[in-house]
Amino acid sequence: MREMERRILAADLVGEEWAEWYAMTPQQRWEESAKLWQTYLALGGSLEPEPDPDSPFFDEAEWRALSADGRAGVRVLRRGGV
Amino acid sequence: MRCLLMGGQACVFYGGAEFSRDLDLMLLLEESNLERMGQALGELQASRIAVPEFGADVLARGHAVHFRCEAEAARGLRIDVMAALRGVGPFSELWARRTVIEAEGEPIDLLSLEDLIRAKKTQREKDWPVIRRLVETSYYSAERSDVDRVSFWLRELRTPELLMEVARRFPDVAGGVSRRAVESALRGDLEAVEADLEQERQQERAADRNYWAPLLKELEQMRRGIGSGGG
Repeated sequence: MREMERRILAADLVGEEWAEWYAMTPQQRWEESAKLWQTYLALGGSLEPEPDPDSPFFDEAEWRALSADGRAGVRVLRRGGV
Repeated sequence: MRCLLMGGQACVFYGGAEFSRDLDLMLLLEESNLERMGQALGELQASRIAVPEFGADVLARGHAVHFRCEAEAARGLRIDVMAALRGVGPFSELWARRTVIEAEGEPIDLLSLEDLIRAKKTQREKDWPVIRRLVETSYYSAERSDVDRVSFWLRELRTPELLMEVARRFPDVAGGVSRRAVESALRGDLEAVEADLEQERQQERAADRNYWAPLLKELEQMRRGIGSGGG
């Protein structure tokens, strides 16, 4: 197949942090994510989903009940969580 | 047990996300498999959250059943179980295309990248940047560029600049792909590519809303049933 020379670098497109993430093997990503998970939990992060009115699963009444439990509102440490 | 890891955890593996706080599973709807899933949920001391109840009928219609675990090793973990997804084939096809990884010595079955991307084309805004990153990761981590892979990028890339690049690098393959954004890319029209991608996104979001409309009505009825003590 014919290839032209000019290519967009991942870092130019998405920044260094994401480019590093892209460059990892799937196994490395899995392990790194597990570390983030441990840190997140150690800091008291909630495992409840964030409110997402776009989602068909979102139930406002359920969310109100869950958010009234007073748990720390710790956020994901690195961007891009699903 | 036959189930496939999908959602955020699968996206982590494929590079589209760095973290997910829940577990999404696609389940084969067979009686023995449902029993095994029930046993596994029991071991995790998982209790169902809200509606619907865990059962073959609701899962077959496309509902998700939500659980929260209380067992020490997984306390607070939320598990969502589904058995039908909009835009993807039946479980047997998904199973045949699955990816198997090993984590802590245990095999884990994942939805294939292509199926994950199809499943991610939802009404939710937050799914779309994830799709973009999933395909970007595939592109940047590929060690070779065979026709199948190039066709996949051309069908699924959501990054205008990269779609232009792939069309420029592989014009012969691009010429055989039926996608408006690819046609615009072949013409070198970046603005048109952006507009085409946005139109695709809006069409998929609308299709997903339509798919969920009757299911949401059912959910609302179930919630009212619980609210009135009927549930």
